Amino acid sequence: MRKDNQVLEGMYRLMSLTRALDQVLGKHDGHWHGLEGEEAVTAAVYYGLRDRDVVAPHYRGAVTAALAKGADMSRLMAGFLGKSTAYHKGRHRSDVCGPPELGLIGLYGGSLGPPLGYAAGAALAAKLDGRDDIALAVFGDGTSSRGDCHEAMNMAAVQTLPIIFVCQNNQIAISTPLSGGVGGSIAARADGFGMPGHTVDGNDVLAMRGAMDAAIARARAGEGPTLIEARTYRVAGHFYSDAEDYRDADEIAAWRAKDPVARYRRYLIDEGVMTEAGMDALDADLVAEVNAAFETALADPVPDASALDVADVFAAEARG
Amino acid sequence: MSRMTFQQATVAALRDEMRADRDVFLLGQDIGRFGGPLRSTAGLFDEFGADRVIDMPMSEGTIAGLAVGAAMQGKRPVVDLMFGEFLALVMQQFLDAGAMHYYSGGTQSVPMVLRVKYGIGPFHGHAYDHHSWLVGVPGVKVFAPSNPADAYAMMRAAVRDNNPVLFMEHMALYHAGKGEIDPDGAANASAGSVIVRDGSDVTLIGSALMLKRALRAARTLEADGISAEVIDLRRIYPLTLDPILASVAKTGRVVLLSEAIGRGASINDLAAILAEKAFADLSAPITRLTAPDIPTPFARELEAAYLPSEDRIADAARRLVADQA
Repeated sequence: MRKDNQVLEGMYRLMSLTRALDQVLGKHDGHWHGLEGEEAVTAAVYYGLRDRDVVAPHYRGAVTAALAKGADMSRLMAGFLGKSTAYHKGRHRSDVCGPPELGLIGLYGGSLGPPLGYAAGAALAAKLDGRDDIALAVFGDGTSSRGDCHEAMNMAAVQTLPIIFVCQNNQIAISTPLSGGVGGSIAARADGFGMPGHTVDGNDVLAMRGAMDAAIARARAGEGPTLIEARTYRVAGHFYSDAEDYRDADEIAAWRAKDPVARYRRYLIDEGVMTEAGMDALDADLVAEVNAAFETALADPVPDASALDVADVFAAEARG
Repeated sequence: MSRMTFQQATVAALRDEMRADRDVFLLGQDIGRFGGPLRSTAGLFDEFGADRVIDMPMSEGTIAGLAVGAAMQGKRPVVDLMFGEFLALVMQQFLDAGAMHYYSGGTQSVPMVLRVKYGIGPFHGHAYDHHSWLVGVPGVKVFAPSNPADAYAMMRAAVRDNNPVLFMEHMALYHAGKGEIDPDGAANASAGSVIVRDGSDVTLIGSALMLKRALRAARTLEADGISAEVIDLRRIYPLTLDPILASVAKTGRVVLLSEAIGRGASINDLAAILAEKAFADLSAPITRLTAPDIPTPFARELEAAYLPSEDRIADAARRLVADQA
């Protein structure tokens, strides 16, 4: 079923924005964990969430999640640069660990897996408060091997929590290929936990959106969790300056040819939703917006290193 | 006022907080109809039901994770982790919870309580005291009450605290006698260290079971003409130093007591602080009595020998005083 044009254009905007941002940050710092090739997953998953929905994003795509939830782009970039204007004041990287006040659950400890439990906890809070808000837990194929992942899915099923688990399966965990990390189908695990599981072409933004719509409706209706395995591919290295000695150039080239952004552009033109010129103009605007935001962040002040204040480690003591 | 055991006091505190605040709820294994390990949630399921006393599968890390995520949304979860040995299973979640307020630039608080039963006592198992691990985690508070009145007040304070709190419930104290509870008493979390017995010759510092043994040792020492001051380290972190420094300035001698093994024990930190801040006041070396650096043994005889006893505490104090005589 065709989406209305607002949704179709909104998802394109998010894909294009993600690509523009990825290129700027990757050029600036070789340790940026790029997203090239995976933009369809993040656009479909993060588009159109409500304010009180909570997201624990995968680090690859966390910036898209934050932008989709209304975060300020320049402050996110300030987070990447460790500036005092960043959401976390330079204390932690608020680019991959978005502002909690917007419903973003970050990778505070840097360990993949536990945030799935935090997202499930947010879903539990929504359920206990009688809200129809939902939580999203997005993770990579590498994280799918963590016990935390299995525990969170089992817990969500047992407690009928309004949560959607999305595995952004880009088929490689740093250098470990899918075959070395996952003994079978990730989506099929859902069956063992008693929830629906779907394998979706992660380079097809519309297929992803369709799966998300069904999962979101199920979650908001109080019917429980869903697992979506998005099959995609990490075109770039684990980070931008990754030498990538561990994989085959032909494989990368084959997937580069399946670029989700180019694919979606063809669809939008074929369906008469957007024109090529219109998309080019939008792309150019977004690149300009990203560059301007980055320039602002670059010029922002760095934290005062004398401000290693232990006072802020604890919250104000108690509820009244 | 009413008289309760430590266990009854913790349950009463939870009940009173749950009545007062809809956001307070409990998570854990076997806390529903079963009533919790050692009756740690007795009666709460009947009053509050399955939505607020939630039985969980055996997934400690994710139980703690649910608490973190719910607390981030403004709920006030209390996790019953059963036993202190299982802290190993929730360390990452607690590390994250402790970091969030600082990392978020002060916008995110994580008001949750993690209850653990621990300590050598009548239950003869799950005795290991691992709280020292968490003293190495910024942003986490550690409460270790020694009596029913404190257990009640401190549990209420822990639930209201806007930070993650590790709440330690000693199994030798749990059902071991009653004390007066004051339901209207202020839930005083700010008074961390409390002088529970005045003395002038030596300061004995401990929490929970060690505090009880220190008090008994102090009475024995009194018969020998030695006046021991006793400090209850009710809140192990953050420390309230002032009463400790004032006491050491008065007595010049200090014995630190720990049920955790000496290596990496949280009291080592206090020893270092005293060496830095109170060196001039000390007339004798700082003495530590701890468990030996071995896992908690099983046989009753070994178990009993593992912890600093009343006699060892008194002997240590006598030696300190004699060396200076």
